[in-house]
Amino acid sequence: MNLGEKMRRRLKLNRPSLRARARPPKQRSPVGRQFSVVNLPVSLALQHCRSCAHVQYPPTELCSICLDDALTYRETSGRGVLLARSALHHSLWEFFKRRLRSAPWLIGSVKLDVGPVVIVHIGCDTIKAGDPVQVFSHTDVSQEVVLVAAPSALDLTGSAARLNIISSLGLDQPALRKGGI
Amino acid sequence: MKGYEGIALVCPVSLGYVKQSAHGAAWFIGSTLRELINAAGIKKSEIDGFAVSSFSLGVDSAISLTQHLGLTPRWIEQANMGGVSGIIAMRRAARAVQCGEANIVACVGGDGAAHRSFEATAANFSSWSIDASFPYGAGGPNAAFSLITQHYMEKYGATREDFARICLDQRYNANHYAPALLGHKTLTLDNYLNARPIAGPVHLFDCVMPCAGGEGFLIMTEDRARQLELPYARLLAADELHNAHSDDPVQDRSGWTHYIDDLYQRAGVGPNDMSCLQTYDDYPVISMMQMEDLGFCAKGEGAQFVQNTDMRFDHSGSAAHKLPHNTCGGQLSCGQAGSAAGYLGVTETLRQLIGTAKDNQIPKAQYGLVSGYGMVNYDRGLCTAAAVLAGAAI
Repeated sequence: MNLGEKMRRRLKLNRPSLRARARPPKQRSPVGRQFSVVNLPVSLALQHCRSCAHVQYPPTELCSICLDDALTYRETSGRGVLLARSALHHSLWEFFKRRLRSAPWLIGSVKLDVGPVVIVHIGCDTIKAGDPVQVFSHTDVSQEVVLVAAPSALDLTGSAARLNIISSLGLDQPALRKGGI
Repeated sequence: MKGYEGIALVCPVSLGYVKQSAHGAAWFIGSTLRELINAAGIKKSEIDGFAVSSFSLGVDSAISLTQHLGLTPRWIEQANMGGVSGIIAMRRAARAVQCGEANIVACVGGDGAAHRSFEATAANFSSWSIDASFPYGAGGPNAAFSLITQHYMEKYGATREDFARICLDQRYNANHYAPALLGHKTLTLDNYLNARPIAGPVHLFDCVMPCAGGEGFLIMTEDRARQLELPYARLLAADELHNAHSDDPVQDRSGWTHYIDDLYQRAGVGPNDMSCLQTYDDYPVISMMQMEDLGFCAKGEGAQFVQNTDMRFDHSGSAAHKLPHNTCGGQLSCGQAGSAAGYLGVTETLRQLIGTAKDNQIPKAQYGLVSGYGMVNYDRGLCTAAAVLAGAAI
């Protein structure tokens, strides 16, 4: 099938479930895209307010405490505590639907020591609510940055260690469908 | 705060609940408006105030609807705040009528349910959810509430059996309310506990079924209601507070705690006087949280409270303490018709207080408490509202 035929079939059968390769959600707001770009070279960068030192997440255009627009991305420690975790058995998105066929998908919320609560993929199923964790950012196969929580004892200084966790989650590969378009 | 003296709430309408529909939101809103006009026996031109709530109007808004529906309102409001939109519309409209800015306000919530529309709403709910929650498993509201539920269970020791009390009694109520989409099915504890897992502790019967439908009521002066010979209910007190307790790492309480004592004081009645309670039941843990924050029990005692309370409309349960709760089955059994779900508690309380509920009528209902909650912008619902309503005869 050449590219033209493939695109015509995709348009005709516009259903995510028929795609050969499903990827995680690509959509981000403009500030969300900026967050992805800024996080590419570092383990974790968050917005810091130059005016009141508040650390802001999710990314916004104004500091939610002092309303100043003096927000600067700084490399930030991802140390925190896992507040809650949950195993998803159902998803609205084709990528996760395919991943869910082999095992539930683990997500959690982490209270970072620097302040904000972040929603994360859980990178290792041994971590439980109340455990100290470290959160890092990484691109997924949609080339957008997502946050992942790992056990605090793990050495994540090299990017290889972080990629390892992303790979074990299957976030660095599209979810395939045989015979899909 | 000034009271809502002289205001009448009339003609509760619930319309067209269906799992999927080719009709758009304008159809559900307009049809509800038509039923309101018929029920009140007035001309369309007599409606000079229009408050509307909907998630699925797309590029349209309340103002587009005036042309669609041929209305010429001199007062208009669009309250797109999900689970509190009914109470917010009611508060705003009551003030408008009280101040003479409008004579009769139609408050309508309505949403369509097109194929795959829920997926689209969940994927585009807010900029924070797009950036920071939807990419994590794309579970939609189930994912956010599974974390809240899990945390609540670990912190206060609530179990799935406790949540089942809420869901089972609501289903019993729905079995007596014809429009409920799941009202033709019974739900047993075994069905509940063995249901398909959805997200962490949240299983199938903890989730609402997205659907289409419309809900609405009219607000006018008591004099006008009597003149039209319409049975009505009164608004004793109402309050709202949004994004409260924002420093709590995980939500297990919300804005009600700030105003509930004051609300009861202004209403002149307390939780024990309520003939019925309608909470926003998008998930049972949220109903439990409301029972605590609305003063029916202390924080953390919600599980024990529901175990000791019969929440059926007809007091037919075995528990000694009686509190009819979500007497038409709530969203868990009726279906969640988008913004209309935020009106369901108001319309159901009105039916109970003016005595037009049918098979699920509470005998001698005097006071009703309605509570609203909604809008998971990121990790928690931001909005809260509550209102105390009373029958006209009191």
